[in-house]
Amino acid sequence: MGKRIIDYRVPRNLLVLFNSLTLLLLFVYEKERIDKFTLISAISLVLIIYISNFILLKISTGDNYIFLIVTMLLSLGLIMIYRINPVLGIKQVVWVGTGIAAFFISYLAVKKIKGWDNWTKLYLIASLALFLLTLIFGRRVKGATNWIRIAGFSFQPSEIIKLLYIFFIASYYSKEELCDGDIKNSYKLLAIVYVFIGFLFLQKDLGTAMLFYLIFFVIQYVYEKNRKLIYYNILLAVVGAFLSYYLFAHVRVRVETWIDPWKYVDNKGYQITQSLFAIASGGFFGTGVGLGHPDFIPEVHTDFIFSAICEEMGLLTGIAIIMLFLVLVYRGFKIGFNQQNKFFRIVAFGISAMFGFQAFIIFGGVTKLIPLTGITLPFISYGGSSMISSFIALGILQVASEDIEEGED
Amino acid sequence: MDKELKRMIRVFVSICILFIGLIVYLTYFQVFTASSIKNNSYNKRLWIDEENIKRGMILDRNGKILAYSEKEGDSMKRHYNYGRLYSHVIGYSFREYGKAGLESSYNNELLNLSENTPLNEIKKIVKPNSEGNTLKLTIDHGLQQYASDLLEGKKGAIVLMNPQTGEIYAMVSKPDFNTNKLKEDWKSIVEDPDSPFLNRATMGLYAPGSTFKVVTSVAALESSNIDYTIDCEGSVNINGYTLKDYNGKPHGKLNLEEALVKSCNVYFSQLGLQVGKDKLGEVSEKFMINKKIPFDLPTKKSTFPFNSVMEKTEIAASSIGQGKILVTPLNMAMIASAIANRGVMVEPVLVKEVISPEGEIVKSNDTKELSRATDTFTANEVKNMMVEVVQRGTGKNARINNVRVAGKTGTAENPTGKAHSWFIGFVPAEDPKLAISVVLESEGSTGGVGAAPIAKQLMAEAINKIH
Repeated sequence: MGKRIIDYRVPRNLLVLFNSLTLLLLFVYEKERIDKFTLISAISLVLIIYISNFILLKISTGDNYIFLIVTMLLSLGLIMIYRINPVLGIKQVVWVGTGIAAFFISYLAVKKIKGWDNWTKLYLIASLALFLLTLIFGRRVKGATNWIRIAGFSFQPSEIIKLLYIFFIASYYSKEELCDGDIKNSYKLLAIVYVFIGFLFLQKDLGTAMLFYLIFFVIQYVYEKNRKLIYYNILLAVVGAFLSYYLFAHVRVRVETWIDPWKYVDNKGYQITQSLFAIASGGFFGTGVGLGHPDFIPEVHTDFIFSAICEEMGLLTGIAIIMLFLVLVYRGFKIGFNQQNKFFRIVAFGISAMFGFQAFIIFGGVTKLIPLTGITLPFISYGGSSMISSFIALGILQVASEDIEEGED
Repeated sequence: MDKELKRMIRVFVSICILFIGLIVYLTYFQVFTASSIKNNSYNKRLWIDEENIKRGMILDRNGKILAYSEKEGDSMKRHYNYGRLYSHVIGYSFREYGKAGLESSYNNELLNLSENTPLNEIKKIVKPNSEGNTLKLTIDHGLQQYASDLLEGKKGAIVLMNPQTGEIYAMVSKPDFNTNKLKEDWKSIVEDPDSPFLNRATMGLYAPGSTFKVVTSVAALESSNIDYTIDCEGSVNINGYTLKDYNGKPHGKLNLEEALVKSCNVYFSQLGLQVGKDKLGEVSEKFMINKKIPFDLPTKKSTFPFNSVMEKTEIAASSIGQGKILVTPLNMAMIASAIANRGVMVEPVLVKEVISPEGEIVKSNDTKELSRATDTFTANEVKNMMVEVVQRGTGKNARINNVRVAGKTGTAENPTGKAHSWFIGFVPAEDPKLAISVVLESEGSTGGVGAAPIAKQLMAEAINKIH
């Protein structure tokens, strides 16, 4: 037992080693800033990561890799955020702590409470209520009206809706009387999904709209009995995409700056070109942490964190992050394959697809592979809403990785 | 395997393809496109050093300050003392608009930047550089000003250089622009149909017209079995195409010297046909046509596509500098220099020395032989004929009292309908110290009327100054 604490073959020990080394280096770099508080945050971070990995191993009989992968991802993000802005870095430590707490709470709650698959209507009503709330009380942040402020805390309702949305679709497809019954039900579902996407368009949150569409599309592809509907869905999306291009200026801007950002280098295309400069300047091996200028990119700590990592840690680290996400998606799908409970099977599938697509949308966006739409990189970008909701999702995935007693069927 | 599992696997494979595609794309980006993106002038990383380094001064050959930098608040401000006058030589360096001219080609020297090697990084920490190197040009400020005044209101270019050392004394291209007011004028400069940004002296390609007869003469003199006595009847029919002389006036029986003095098109077209396109092309290339001229500023290659299939009419047109031949004014000044310098063409030089802030000479550009264009004997023969051109021929307007000038005029037909007016030459003929090329774009007058008087005034001014 004692041996295992220092055994390098135990992945959580490697994580601790990685964190300790990088934090030490960061402190050397930022030496004139270090105070007691920073030091305590750093030590507690290492401890939180180590202890939570350890506890999880004890209490969960399920998958013990997804949490490891995620803690590696957030360590990388944290280092970058601290380097860009130490104040935000410390705050992010708090978010990580809160996120991990949310992970355990959601893990326990989802595990203990029964009947998640029965509340289809509740998920729908709650989501729509949150959408309406955003529409009425929404605050404009960086062009998108997707934040609301309650009791001094700002948060993005769409982060919570994302999970309700997956639960909603999963409960629909896990109930035979719904998805096998009246054919009208499938059309109703399609309509509801498009209402959701419509709300997101109204908020100008194009990245999340795209994410919602993709999540629904893959679940529909796997579970829809009425295969015709899949074609309708594709058709609708294509028509919708063209219509929105002509109707909304903010959609056109995204496409124009994607096709030729250099034409708009000092205005509309500023962000994306700054991001490309950063990635190009980093090369394969990076400039070294603290030696580049990722701070030239606006919003670098949230949407553009990947470009900052590529500049200072190199494209190879960037590729490593991409691969970590792929492994996370793979583990998530594997959890889905092995789950007997249909509801949780779909939930696991939906959440893993969500992680995968969300990461891809922002990876592709900041590298100009696809049009740029603002969305956070799960576990890496700075921000509370994103961190907490991603951890809640991870907690649910953790539950899905265990054996769940079947209900009546 | 049931359907559900199969479909899930398909979804997973699609996600894998997306992610791997992303990795392939990023690798491609890094290997192939990254380096050009990095050097985009909008990349602030390129400017970060400049905020802290005082960009070096630019001086003329006598030490007169032409450009300098000064700290203003937090950033460095670049001052151009004579804005317009050096728009194409010095160019500009602005964060918003990038760099041009020597500010671009000598950027590393002006900022005292070295390659980003680890060793240099350490050096930077030990001894941070805060001041760039000074450039000392070969330009003479007085002559540059005078040349610019002569060309005021016209389109075209002047290159005045030392034929023996290659030093450029004056280089003017019009229209120009004010480097001090770039911000205000940017839009109008970009939209101007006369392209003020173009440095016509090094990048402008013009039909050389009769100035090219100098090259044709060299090619003929280097060939054997040439019949130099040709009867000019004012026009000649080559393969059904009639080539006319100026005003269609017959010159009668001519030898080479008389033909050059009178700039007879009929004579030179016949001569060119005897020489043949291969010999003409070979000699042209020795005069750096079709070759990249190494220079401190970007240059365009002069072109003479003699390797392609050429009709007889085309060969005839080429021998009088028409047809497909296009040259830069710098190249023509160098051709005049080569004749002046006994057939040896030297590299043109614009930056004489790079001087460190401590006053040490870091780099100096010495005279280098570029091409052995022709032998001394042939060069002297052509020189003597060019003296006669100015003495009693089409170049009379370039005559200067008490000094013997050699030269050749040119009136080049071109698609604009108005002829370019050319003059190339050198002075003094017995020991040439100055070579010149003047081109007035679409001036509509002959070389003798348009360009020759300008060349004369500049040479007269310069010969007093340089001595």
